[in-house]
Amino acid sequence: MRRLWIAAAAVWLPTGVTAGSWVLWSDRLPSRIATHWSGSGPADGFSPATGFWLGALIAGLVAGIAAVVAAAIDDRRIEDPAARVRRTATTRATLILGGSVAGAAAGMWVATAHATLTDPADPRLGWRFGLFLLGLAWGGVIRLIAGPPPRIDVPAAPPVDALDLGPTERAAFSTTLRSPLLLGVLLAATAVMLALAATVQPVLWLACPVPLIAALVSGQVRVTADRRGLRLVAGFAGITVKHIPLERIVRAEAADINPAAWGGWGYRVTPGRSALVLRGGPGLVLDLRDGRRFAVTMPDPRTPAALLNGLRSHTG
Amino acid sequence: MLFRVDVAAAEPLADQIAAQVRGGIMRGEVTAGERLPAARELAEVLDVNLHTVLRAYGRLRDEDLIELRRGRGAVVRGDADAARLRLTELAREFVREARRQGLGETEMLEIVKGATP
Repeated sequence: MRRLWIAAAAVWLPTGVTAGSWVLWSDRLPSRIATHWSGSGPADGFSPATGFWLGALIAGLVAGIAAVVAAAIDDRRIEDPAARVRRTATTRATLILGGSVAGAAAGMWVATAHATLTDPADPRLGWRFGLFLLGLAWGGVIRLIAGPPPRIDVPAAPPVDALDLGPTERAAFSTTLRSPLLLGVLLAATAVMLALAATVQPVLWLACPVPLIAALVSGQVRVTADRRGLRLVAGFAGITVKHIPLERIVRAEAADINPAAWGGWGYRVTPGRSALVLRGGPGLVLDLRDGRRFAVTMPDPRTPAALLNGLRSHTG
Repeated sequence: MLFRVDVAAAEPLADQIAAQVRGGIMRGEVTAGERLPAARELAEVLDVNLHTVLRAYGRLRDEDLIELRRGRGAVVRGDADAARLRLTELAREFVREARRQGLGETEMLEIVKGATP
C-alpha cells in the first residue's frame, strides 16, 4: 500500500533532523552538554555531546528501519483477507510507534543541544520540553498519513442461512445464558479466599473481589442480537461487557466450540479472536471486519446467526 | 428467543409480540424465571412504540405467563405451563376459525361438547 510507504518515509524525517543538526551545531557544542533538568531549575545532569547525539540517532535509525521492514512485509501478497487486514493492523502499529520513538529521540536531542547553544554557562530547558512532546506527537502524524485501518468487505450476496426479512418486518433475538457450574466454582473460590484471608493470609483480602467480579460478570449473561448488533450484558450487574455493532460484522455462523481451541472457559482473549465460553458445544461465531473473530457459546446459535446475517444483508 | 413482527400485517403489533413470547415459552426457548427484554429496549430494537410492547407484556401478565415487577422487568412465571399454553393456543385458533365461519358462542360450545367422547 502506497500510504504505508509514505508513512514509513515520514518516520525517517525526525532522524534526518537529528543528523542535520549535528552538521550545523557540532563545532559550536562543548564536549559535555547538559542533558537533565529537574523542573525549571538549572541543569543537574551532563553527558558527552557525541554519545548523547549517537543515542538519539541510533534510536531514530532503529525506528526507521523497523518502519521500512514493516512496510515491505505489508507489500507481500497474501490471499486470506482476514490475515491481510490483521497484518496491516500490525504494520500501522509499528509505523505509529516508530514515528513516536524517532520523533521523541530527535526532540530530546534538539531540545538539549539548543539549550546549551543558547546559554552555555547556564542552560535551561524551559519551553524546549515542548519539542520532546512535539516529537512524541509525530506518531499521530504518521497515523494520519497511514490512513484508516483496512476493513474486510462484506460480501454482496447474503450467506445461505440468512433470515429472509421482508421490508416491513422487524426482528430481534434475546436469550439468557446461565452457567451454574462456573458460578459455583467462582463463588467457592471466593469463599475459600475469604476464609484464608480471615485466618492465615490477610493479603488475600485484596484478591477476593477478583473471583467475585468474575462470578458477577459470567454467572448470568444476556445475549441480544438485533439491528444494533450483538450485545452481551452481565445479568447480575446489568453491565454491557461486549458490544459489536452490526456494521463491524462480516458474517455470523453457528459452530461447535471446543474450549481448548478458544483458550479455556470464561471470557477469553487470544490473538485474533476473543470468546465467552460458558460450556463446550454449539456457539455463535462472528467474523469481524478487522479480521478478528468473536464467539459465544449458547444452546441454539443458528437463530441469532441467521438473524444477524439477515440484518447485515439489509443494511449492507 | 426470536421476536419477529411485521408492521404491515393486519394483526396488531402487541398481539404479534405476545404471540412470539407464548411460542418461545411453548418451545422452551424461554424458561421459568428467565427475564424478557426490557420493554423500552425491545421497543427500540424493533422500532415500535413503547406502549405496544407494554400492552403485549400486560396481556401476558393477565394470562398468568409472566410477572411484571418494577425494577425487575418481565419475568417468566415458574408455573407458566407450556402444555396448558398449547391448549390455549389451539382454542384461540379454533375460536378464530369459528368466528370467520360466522359461528356464535353457543355453536362453538356445542362443537366442543360434540368433540368430547
